[in-house]
Amino acid sequence: MEASTATAPTPTREARGGARERTAGRLLDAGLNGYAALALLYLLAPIAVILVFSFNDPRGRFNFIWQDFSLDAWTDPFGVPGIGDALGKSVEIAGLSTLAATCLGTITALALVRYEFRGRAPINFFIFIPLATPEVVLGAALLSMFLNFQVGPGFGTILIAHIMFNLSFVVVTVRSRLIGFDRSLEEAAQDLGATPWQTFRLVTLPLIMPGVVAAALLAFALSIDDFVITYFNAGSVVTFPIFIWGAARVAVPPEIYVIASMIFLFTLAVMLLTVWQQRRAERMAAVRPEPEAV
Amino acid sequence: MTDLEREFERTIREEISRRRLLRRGAAGALSFSALAYLAACGSETGGGADTSPEAKAIPKGKVSDSLYFANWPLYIEEDRGTLKDFEKEYGTKVKYVEEINDNNEFFGKVRQQYAQGDSGGRDIHVVTDWMAGRMIRLGYVQKFDKSQLPNATQNLIPRLESPPFDKNRDFSMPWQSGFTGIVYRKDEVKREPKSVDDLFDPDYKGKVTMLTEMRDTVSVVAASMGFDPETASLDEFMQAVDKIGEAAESGQIRAFTGNEYTKDITKGDSVVIIGWSGDAVQLEADNPNIKFVAPESGVHLWTDNMQIPVGAPHAFTAEKMIDFVYRPEVQADITEYVNYICPVEGVQEILTMRDPSIGQNQLIFPDEQTLSNAFIMRQVKPDEERELDEAFQQVIGA
Amino acid sequence: MAARIRKAGLPYLLLLPGLGWLAIFFAIPLGYMLFESLKQGTVDTGFVFNWEFSNYANAISAFSKQFVRSFEYAGLATLFALVIGYPLAYVIAFRGGRWRNALLLAVIVPFFVTYLIRTLSWETILSDTGLVSDTLRSIGIMADDGRLLDTTVSVVAGITYNFLPFMILPLYASLERIDPRMLEAGYDLYGRRRDVFLHITLPLSMPGVVAGTLLTFIPAAGDFINAELLGGPNQTMIGNVIQSRYLELADYPTAAALSFILMALMLAVVVIWARIAGTEALLGTERRER
Repeated sequence: MEASTATAPTPTREARGGARERTAGRLLDAGLNGYAALALLYLLAPIAVILVFSFNDPRGRFNFIWQDFSLDAWTDPFGVPGIGDALGKSVEIAGLSTLAATCLGTITALALVRYEFRGRAPINFFIFIPLATPEVVLGAALLSMFLNFQVGPGFGTILIAHIMFNLSFVVVTVRSRLIGFDRSLEEAAQDLGATPWQTFRLVTLPLIMPGVVAAALLAFALSIDDFVITYFNAGSVVTFPIFIWGAARVAVPPEIYVIASMIFLFTLAVMLLTVWQQRRAERMAAVRPEPEAV
Repeated sequence: MTDLEREFERTIREEISRRRLLRRGAAGALSFSALAYLAACGSETGGGADTSPEAKAIPKGKVSDSLYFANWPLYIEEDRGTLKDFEKEYGTKVKYVEEINDNNEFFGKVRQQYAQGDSGGRDIHVVTDWMAGRMIRLGYVQKFDKSQLPNATQNLIPRLESPPFDKNRDFSMPWQSGFTGIVYRKDEVKREPKSVDDLFDPDYKGKVTMLTEMRDTVSVVAASMGFDPETASLDEFMQAVDKIGEAAESGQIRAFTGNEYTKDITKGDSVVIIGWSGDAVQLEADNPNIKFVAPESGVHLWTDNMQIPVGAPHAFTAEKMIDFVYRPEVQADITEYVNYICPVEGVQEILTMRDPSIGQNQLIFPDEQTLSNAFIMRQVKPDEERELDEAFQQVIGA
Repeated sequence: MAARIRKAGLPYLLLLPGLGWLAIFFAIPLGYMLFESLKQGTVDTGFVFNWEFSNYANAISAFSKQFVRSFEYAGLATLFALVIGYPLAYVIAFRGGRWRNALLLAVIVPFFVTYLIRTLSWETILSDTGLVSDTLRSIGIMADDGRLLDTTVSVVAGITYNFLPFMILPLYASLERIDPRMLEAGYDLYGRRRDVFLHITLPLSMPGVVAGTLLTFIPAAGDFINAELLGGPNQTMIGNVIQSRYLELADYPTAAALSFILMALMLAVVVIWARIAGTEALLGTERRER
């Protein structure tokens, strides 16, 4: 999500339409903003519930109705046996698969966009197909193959599965970034004598970095949250979503809500930080004089 | 438009041309046939464990330093005291994984491995009667060496000594037992629902849930229709399924659940349901209005059994664990937390000393009278099972 | 000469790792599943390959109800996501200003909380005795004995919610790309906001609409978690059936056949939609003006 340097003009053109158009315009504005606010509320409603229930102090095993306020769950969120391990596993798998998928996917996207070669169209389509395949199908098919080859499901198979579905997402994301890409900078670098590898490393890569980062973030989020494909291929490994699926059938201790809240607050903090960073960079750029255009 | 973009547009249009699809399809079919040939090499035979009466028992060995115990959630004390005590005595670190949420789901997960004689590292798994029976039938579990199970052989309660699927308890040993009956909200029902017919009462429309566990739901309903689940015919069970199906379609039954029914009844979304005794004890602690009642027509007694899967790396140690939990003082801690029917004799006395109300609890230590009203659903033959399963799955919508 | 060969081989070399991975861990498993779908038998008797095409026919006739329902629910959810998401994306893109990124955060961050937990909290929110139900009953929209959970409403609401960001983000991306000069020109031409929207904004945002609808519809159609947690027996979707066949009934041939049918239907949807909307929109190849 890059910040646009130009903002859309606030329409002042209603003045042309006359007073009725103006009030209609203002009503529309208000309505639109109100609607958007409602939509945001809708998005955040479950989060509010999760936050609230993380402070619940259930008398028994079940955390379904509000009973008493308590900070107990927050003081020891990993007290529930297995929850810490599950979370750790999920993070580990997400990290590794994101790394692999981003590297593989970026290279693949580059090849697909930059070069003309036979079979490019079918390959493009082929890479798209996993996105159109339901997770149930992907998970079950993978399991089927692993077992046929006598590979026991476990950490390795989960990792393989995650890299597989992340790959398509990364390729599609990076590819859409590459398509509008201005190649004149690369051509300029090559004119100046840079080798293809240097050009790639010093010019291309930095320029496509935002797209690559976006793809990596997407892959990480998808991996850490994946349930269906992981479930089929997990063997005895318990990832966080699998833990919750099992736990939810029996009881949902407030600790789960605490961890969910923590994840939410953590990512919120990280993103706020990047926004703040960005603002700072913009402000500094505004202060510093613009470099002369070449 | 640059060359690149023109090229891209052209390729995309071509992508969708029928010719390409057909060509790809043909190539695909060819490669699939090749794969089919390859895959034909994989076989789907039994697990290889001998489960005939003359089978050889687990040989004696040494106690290992690790053990993989797969179980249902919330079936052992929260602080895992039992496992820690086991480690203290035998030096074995127990990896306890609550990966079993549903018999069929678990079976689906491990089936192919078990079929290849590979337990996936598991040394003990815990499954319900009928699944235990299936595991035995398919040769997926190993035979106990009874000389290694003195406590178990001695302390097992008589009612569970000889179940139809494992007459000599050679391949399974109860972990916990339970009742399937009616759970209800005292503050929301017009009277105590002693009969299963109350669940079909239109006054409760949309406030009834039943279990996805086919045998629990069908046997309880069949009993209420006058059939005896210990001897009923397939046709009689199917009649029960039909009755349930009608209720599902009409909206009388709002959902079929696993353990999630606890959520619905706590919130008051359901008021009279089919549920499990152990959950009811826990629920009542949270909300005294939630009660369990054994239906007049009969309550279903089921057992979750420990078994040692084929290919278990630490089978001998697993036997030690199975025997360990049959010591009354060990089992007392488990039963105190789990609140299901205790399969071990001698525990009632211990727990009564700690808390008399537990000792009296019919849902943990049922007396003869309660047990006489309980039935164990008969083992259904594989083809009967398939028909019942199929019909029931249709009813619950899948 | 060597340089030219090397250059010609370069794209294939670059493609090898990624494609190879997909070939081994996507294409081959599908092959196995296809093989599985043509088998016959049960767990007890063993499965035998038999070119059993009847599995497909049987699957379609036995579960047509769930197929139709899945498309209905996914379609509704996509529609609602569009209705809810488009104005929100519009406001963020055009009215966001300096708050733009913060607002996008507000949209995305809830989805970093696990899918299952989000859906579970909807169970709490939509409970019969909860705030939402009570409110709806008091203003008369819902009957006194009505409920929200375990109905079509809750399932569709859950699906809509869970796939909303997949709709909003592409919409935002394409709205944000619209050159403000286009809008200025539009105002000069048409003068009225409605016309500017209909003739300029909406068409230019079509790539986002297409991408968003596809990214929402496809996973929604195969979903089973919302139906399982928020629905009852009359709300089951094809995803539930596939899961049940695989994990509950161990009826692998039918499960595999159902999976392929679903996949084929999805691809058909993609192709048809791409035709209707124009192929550039499908893959997001709209250009930036230099």
